[in-house]
Amino acid sequence: MKVPSVVIGGGLSGLAAAIRLARFCPDVILLEQHTRLGGLNSYYYRNKTLLETGLHAITNYAEPGNKKAPLNRLLRQLKINRKSLVFHQQKTSEVRFNNQESLLFSNDFSLLNKEIALKFPGSTSGFHRLCSFLDDFNPFLPAPFRSAKQYLSETLDDPLLVDMLLCPLMYYGSSIENDMDLAQFAIMFQAIYKEGFFRPGGNIKDFLTILSDHFKSLGGTIRLGVKVTRIHHTQGSISGVLLDTGEVIECDHLLSTIGLQETRKILHLEESEEQHQRLGFVESIYQVPADAISTLPSDRTVIFYNENEPFSYQQPDDYADYNSGVICLPYNFKNLNTSATVEVRSTHLASYTKWKETRKNREQYAEVKNAVRRNSLATIEKYVGKFRTNIVYEDTFTPVTIERYTAKKHGAIYGSAMKIKDGDIGFKNLFLAGTDQGFLGIVGSMLSGVSIVNQHILPKF
Amino acid sequence: MTSEEIKDLILEIIEDIDDEADFDSLNPDEPLRDQLDLDSMDFLDIVMELRKRHQLQIPEEDYPQLASLNSCVRYLEPLLKDA
Repeated sequence: MKVPSVVIGGGLSGLAAAIRLARFCPDVILLEQHTRLGGLNSYYYRNKTLLETGLHAITNYAEPGNKKAPLNRLLRQLKINRKSLVFHQQKTSEVRFNNQESLLFSNDFSLLNKEIALKFPGSTSGFHRLCSFLDDFNPFLPAPFRSAKQYLSETLDDPLLVDMLLCPLMYYGSSIENDMDLAQFAIMFQAIYKEGFFRPGGNIKDFLTILSDHFKSLGGTIRLGVKVTRIHHTQGSISGVLLDTGEVIECDHLLSTIGLQETRKILHLEESEEQHQRLGFVESIYQVPADAISTLPSDRTVIFYNENEPFSYQQPDDYADYNSGVICLPYNFKNLNTSATVEVRSTHLASYTKWKETRKNREQYAEVKNAVRRNSLATIEKYVGKFRTNIVYEDTFTPVTIERYTAKKHGAIYGSAMKIKDGDIGFKNLFLAGTDQGFLGIVGSMLSGVSIVNQHILPKF
Repeated sequence: MTSEEIKDLILEIIEDIDDEADFDSLNPDEPLRDQLDLDSMDFLDIVMELRKRHQLQIPEEDYPQLASLNSCVRYLEPLLKDA
């Protein structure tokens, strides 16, 4: 069969790209190797409840009237009416460096301003300089890597504040160790501090259903459980894809959202060299009955904690690095409907190699998973209070779990350290969007899909 | 299409992109983007809608000619004369 365009990967960037294409050329096929959509932001069922795999919070909250905000631009591009969606804003989040300092932030940027004035009075004018610099800075212009850490150190003149500001931005979207590109920092600063966190009404499955129904209503086709084993190409031009069923789909335009190395693999090209390690993460979910909520914080949505001096964000040699991490309390978004159970989630950096090695022995792997979850629990209880006796269900996913379900190399949720910002990987009619293009987070990855389609495919139709 | 019909077509397309677009104080000789808070992504929608509705292939180098309402009319009139 032959269609004008095929999108590989049913994660959020692939779905957004497919919707954007289908708006103007309905014959789009979206291929997903897993039996469910969502990629990193999917779901599974355990203990008679739906558990989300990736979603802590969506960044880039914006009020409906704010036309220039990334969230509203995205919805316009997808032709999804903002008014048809229900969004719940966060309460308050916190960066807590144990025994050092704590900074609160919310969707009202003035809170962070006040916190910095109060706790880092010497850096107040530096922080204002940073904000005005970011207001005039265009992070989307092509530019070589520039160290955000160095820029911040020069501007703020306080290493603790530098690390505290970087910590949430790194945990929610940095694929490189101990630093960020200044452009990426600028995007994330706006996404997390200036705009802030929200959740869609219901769960991630409902959100994915809105997107997939919209795509289908525009005439698009979704095929789940089909793996692309080969991309056929000659002289820098794609002719189609071969599926694991043996079927060939020919196409004029192909968009891959599965990652750079993952795409090169099915092009049968050598892996390009990677200078940096991929960062692995381990996440645990602790489910407690809703009536046990009273022992947990009632006004913290996400806590980014650190106990290391100085803070480090790098691949550990061990199963998990408990010295820092993210604690998410997904019940602390405003105006949520009550449910029977609520969750506490924890995330730490983890060594893929270590988990991969251990996976060879199923029993040992299960034991280590349990031990890691217990250690994580002991750590996060320091921040949210004791709740272990109330846990009714708990689960952990490792870099190996993530790799198995999402096919992301080494289970690295933020992909390769090297990003292909323009999506051009050397082919006339194959482009890259999603994680390895470089816009991260749910809004970021969806804008990635949309902008690569806008830039490379729509003008050629 | 008459020039008035072309104006209506453009405004209809914009309204479709942004249902809160305010045309009351629109100056037809000034850039649409600045007045209506449209960005380059929205602008591409105008081009794509013209393609979808009237099979017009507008090359990228001609996009600047669609900047204001009146320049749209000047550019599109010969192309849509039989539409």
